[in-house]
Amino acid sequence: MQRKVLAVALAASLLLIAACGDERADDVTTSVAATAAPGATTAESTSADTTEAATDTTGSAGTDGTITVPDDYPTIQEAVDAAEAGALILVQPGTYHEAVNVTTDNLTIRGLDRNEVILDGQMELDNGIRILGAKGVTVENMTATNYTRNGFFWTGVDGFRGAYLTAYRTGDYGVYVFDSMNGDLEHIYAAGSPDAGIYIGECYPCNSVVDDVVSEHNGLGYSGTNSGGNLLIVNSVFRFNRAGIVPNSGSYELCYPQRETTIVGNVVHSNNQADTPAIDVALLAMGNGILSAGGVLNNIERNLVYDHDKSGIGLVPFLEEDPNDAIPSREEWGMTCADAKLQEPQDPGAGILWDSFDNRVIGNVLEDNRAADIIVASAGTDVSTLGNCFSDNTFTSTAPNNLETLAPCDAVGSGDWTDGEYNVAAWLGEEHPPSVDWQTATLPALEPQVTMPDAATAPAHPATDVPKQVDLDAITVPAKPS
Amino acid sequence: MISVLRGAVLTATLFAAAGCAGNESGAVVKAHTDVTSLGQPDRPIAGPQGATPQFVVECRYSHAASDDPIVYPGQPGQSHLHMFFGNTDVDAFTTVSSLADGGTTCDQPLDKAAYWAPALLRGPQVLTPVKSTAYYRPGQGVDPATVQPFPDGLVMVGGNSGATGEQPLSIVAWSCGAGIERAALPPECAEGRNLRLLVTFPDCWDGRNLDSEDHHAHVAYSSGGACPEGFPVAMVQLQFSVEYPVWGSADGLLLASGGLTTGHADFMNGWDQAKLVSEVQLCLHRGVVCGVASGRTG
Repeated sequence: MQRKVLAVALAASLLLIAACGDERADDVTTSVAATAAPGATTAESTSADTTEAATDTTGSAGTDGTITVPDDYPTIQEAVDAAEAGALILVQPGTYHEAVNVTTDNLTIRGLDRNEVILDGQMELDNGIRILGAKGVTVENMTATNYTRNGFFWTGVDGFRGAYLTAYRTGDYGVYVFDSMNGDLEHIYAAGSPDAGIYIGECYPCNSVVDDVVSEHNGLGYSGTNSGGNLLIVNSVFRFNRAGIVPNSGSYELCYPQRETTIVGNVVHSNNQADTPAIDVALLAMGNGILSAGGVLNNIERNLVYDHDKSGIGLVPFLEEDPNDAIPSREEWGMTCADAKLQEPQDPGAGILWDSFDNRVIGNVLEDNRAADIIVASAGTDVSTLGNCFSDNTFTSTAPNNLETLAPCDAVGSGDWTDGEYNVAAWLGEEHPPSVDWQTATLPALEPQVTMPDAATAPAHPATDVPKQVDLDAITVPAKPS
Repeated sequence: MISVLRGAVLTATLFAAAGCAGNESGAVVKAHTDVTSLGQPDRPIAGPQGATPQFVVECRYSHAASDDPIVYPGQPGQSHLHMFFGNTDVDAFTTVSSLADGGTTCDQPLDKAAYWAPALLRGPQVLTPVKSTAYYRPGQGVDPATVQPFPDGLVMVGGNSGATGEQPLSIVAWSCGAGIERAALPPECAEGRNLRLLVTFPDCWDGRNLDSEDHHAHVAYSSGGACPEGFPVAMVQLQFSVEYPVWGSADGLLLASGGLTTGHADFMNGWDQAKLVSEVQLCLHRGVVCGVASGRTG
């Protein structure tokens, strides 16, 4: 009891010294609840952690600047705190009960085995690895599970790479990238989050690539709120989510509208999954493959999209009942995110409708999407004026009917837009299967995932060469998985 | 006993360590008179998230009680009806020390702070809140890198439960959902836009007292990016939002504390202090957004 009293007094006086002396507290990265039990699956000792830390704070880096966990430092957090910019941190197989915060530029944090380096938040810790404003940080070849918020989280960074990552059962997102630009997410498996397995939001231009990910059993496979500008989502699989790929606009966060995202060569199927955790937007979007919810100027090309209760590809409005700003005019769609942050918001006075404008839907192969393979709809706006176009797709149905005749890309269309028009507002009144608790949702067993080649010997690879180059023209419609 | 002991040690330590001026807190002021903390923010906080560094905690409604462990400690049933969020064990006997023993309704398990606000009623019916959201940000214009976490054990009140007229919108306001309009009285909200009460807490501390006789005098509001004289510590600013299942007509609404202008909220710091320190340093000092309240549910 006395120790506690003393500790409190001490903490308060430290604070006060800084305050009265008008000094800034050092920007120390604090590790919270960072207890590693490398190689252990159950037992862990918090007291051992303290002892280890006390005796091992001078842990040495290897001669080549590489730091190994737990050999050099017992926890990932201690290794990160000790690392200098550009260092390589190798994490040996084991279970790590840590929420790691990263504030040093250009680190490479790498597991030696994606399937055996497990960060486990035990439903208590918030983020597996969180990168806060540190440039060029790569996180690769490991698994994060049971975190109350996100498995892997970059915020406010220029330069990021997540590769060979597994995020499994998380309370918010699997991999969450916010207010960040210039990055790659590749070779990722994400399952079991109520929001999106993979998310990139609030950036323009994003200059980022999502490549070779598998996202399943999430509320949304991919979500990107107010993101775009050289943002590519390619060669990936989005299946068994409530909804597959959902770029979306909204004024509760900055840099609207969502725009200029290129979605090419993905397999998007069977996103009707009623037993996932789900935020309310995921409930509403359920049964759709690729769904632009108020997105503009997106390119959706050469994807294979099948088995959905509603649309394969849907261009629909997002009704924001509770807006924080008015919708920017078309002339403002080129404004960078940095400039958008300086704008004064205006109260629109009532709910606003983000329509999907100027999207190009070309060369996709669609089948068995049961409302229609392709849908374009609004809730009050004349859909013939939205500027979306449709060409060279393989399909059996569209709503309105004959979309490729009504609005071909780079050609003049004709026909009756009211023929077979789609009532998207009806979604609001439907019964939606309720969300399932993310902590207990039924998920597929976590299968071993492809691990990074040469993890032990490959040199540090900070995210300074991002985004990767993608030859979009070389991407063809993927084959249907067996 | 614990709190007495701690108070003594704390006071002695603070004076010894910091050499600050002595404690000259004012005379006893009875609760529920027209009293509030010094100063007021330059303008109401509103608009999209994502430009200002922040971290956010969303806390479900926990329970209701006519208790107030700040204003009527040890006197159960003495207060107007309050709605409690965050810590699950709050009653009239709660102290900052006892908070650690409770659970939390917050989505951040390390936040066991007690947050409460007067109950909103429509006629005789008590309205059960939908949820609360606690936004932690630097005060407007305050250099984010300079803000300090709340000291361990801090208690404070935002707004004035004894207000006899409209309070500044920058301290107490009503809104429709997350919209940017602020009003002194509950507006008529469109369907789907739940009525919210928004209370902005003081963000400057006198550096000495974890509480004061009137529960306001030890803290103050920054303005123009600076704290007033006598309040040398710029703290993180808490904006607390309570969302009610109310839209349409505001007729018949009443706060349990009195008229609709008596909006206020109370806070007892029950954070895991290391986590609070860490979030202030990592999110605010580094100028990044560590989370957003989406306005979505699920």
